[in-house]
Amino acid sequence: MTDAQRRWIPLLFFGSVVLAWEAAVRASGQSALASAVVPSPAGVAIAAARTISDGTLAAATAGSLFRVLLGFTIGAVLGIPLGLLMGFVQPLNRAFGPIVDSLRSIAPIAWIPMALLWLGIRGNAAVFIVTYAAFFPFVVNAVQGARLIDRNLVNAARALGARPALIVRSVILPSALPAILTGARISMAFAWGSIIAAELAMGIKVTSGGSGAVGLGQLMVSTLYIRRDVNALVLYMVVIGVIALIIDFGMRRLQRTLTPWRQP
Amino acid sequence: MKVRAASLPAGHIDRKGKAIRWSLFRRLEFLFALAAVGAIWQLVSVAVGNKTLVPPPLLVIEAWLGLWRSDLPTDILASLVHLGIGYTLGTLTGLVLAILAARFIVVEAIVDPLVEVLRPIGAIAWIPLAILMFGISRSVPIFLIFYASIFPIFINTLAGVKQVDQQLVRAGQMLGASPRIVVMHVVVPAALPFVIAGARLSLGVAWMAMVAAELTGADSGLGWRLFWYQEFFAMDKVMAVILTIGVLGYVFDTLLRRLQARITRWSPESALSDP
Repeated sequence: MTDAQRRWIPLLFFGSVVLAWEAAVRASGQSALASAVVPSPAGVAIAAARTISDGTLAAATAGSLFRVLLGFTIGAVLGIPLGLLMGFVQPLNRAFGPIVDSLRSIAPIAWIPMALLWLGIRGNAAVFIVTYAAFFPFVVNAVQGARLIDRNLVNAARALGARPALIVRSVILPSALPAILTGARISMAFAWGSIIAAELAMGIKVTSGGSGAVGLGQLMVSTLYIRRDVNALVLYMVVIGVIALIIDFGMRRLQRTLTPWRQP
Repeated sequence: MKVRAASLPAGHIDRKGKAIRWSLFRRLEFLFALAAVGAIWQLVSVAVGNKTLVPPPLLVIEAWLGLWRSDLPTDILASLVHLGIGYTLGTLTGLVLAILAARFIVVEAIVDPLVEVLRPIGAIAWIPLAILMFGISRSVPIFLIFYASIFPIFINTLAGVKQVDQQLVRAGQMLGASPRIVVMHVVVPAALPFVIAGARLSLGVAWMAMVAAELTGADSGLGWRLFWYQEFFAMDKVMAVILTIGVLGYVFDTLLRRLQARITRWSPESALSDP
């Protein structure tokens, strides 16, 4: 199979699937508007036009992204130093490693009930979940990064008279950076997934009044229960996927820019 | 079971005794860290003073033990049923799709882009749609676990089958092996480490999907029970369930990790990856 064939076959296949799908939905007599039970491609496009033009999609996405960035940053600030420390000081690693591993195996979303109690509905509980999810990849990868640092390089720098600050800046950080950036990429992916989950859970389970900041997850829930618009739901799913792709692409770009010497 | 140094030949290094002492030492370190965490937890709980906000560790343990007599077995069973059905169906589907895609390039040309498009969306984004389709029931977690399990094993199995050294395959054919023998004795053993790695990754995402789906769209299982206790503000029970979820998840992953270690022990990975 040639390269051109490999590109066209899926396009043709999916194109015809989409067309057949639209035709089937039209044939069954449902209109491509809201309150349809089965999503149709045209309906999704209409929903897209609507939510983009009246700004709800942009606002919700911005809200979710803001909380992701917040949680990601806090997770990085807490996780990278801890990971580096654990990587350098072996007894710490042996002692706290299993505890970190055990906490890591608890899915971040399971903490929602406690987070809601501690931080309230208006968005901070979601940030806690994101921070929790982003924290562990940073720790794990920072430990790895610390292990990779060549002691000879550190000693060489010291022998040449470098002060500790310079050693950290020119030897330790560049050595650990590839692993830390890998951790950042994984953290970002986890963070994006967690915010959706957290917002969904908060939207579905917290019935007491409005939930302050609205994110994509809460928008999906209100679409599910109030508007009952299947097409909008599919649209939001697509948006979630697109943003995930953009995030991954962006992080890989960042990795290549900041650590060009790294062999993938 | 100490080995007495006097009975060993001169110059012998007492490795076994050292290994035993070392593993004991490591267990102690872990217990020490556990105790330290428990102590900090207790301090925080006392400082906050509110038993609902920060339940002290002893209260949580007490609640956990009490739960065993009431709801916990039912919840664990429900969750395991969700996981069992979803994970089995999902991994089988992923496996079959990968095998078909490896065998028929048309299948791969269609399924692979589909996987690449669907994977970023994530299983969790399907929750509202699943609730719309199935209503709040156990079908939601089962469907979500099924969906989430397909991707890692599909990707890994396909990669594993593709990386089988063609020279080995050709060697087998040259020696007169039938296609069936080539598949059974060359392809399968070579791809098996990747398959089991994929199975382990699938279990990880399946577990996360299970908790998320039960939390939001089910009426049974450990995830659902979390909010049930939260509505009564029985935070000690909530913590107990959280710990149960963590422990169970860790146990399952360890089981698969052991299986993975056993299977990859005999596979000459290093030989295959050499150019």
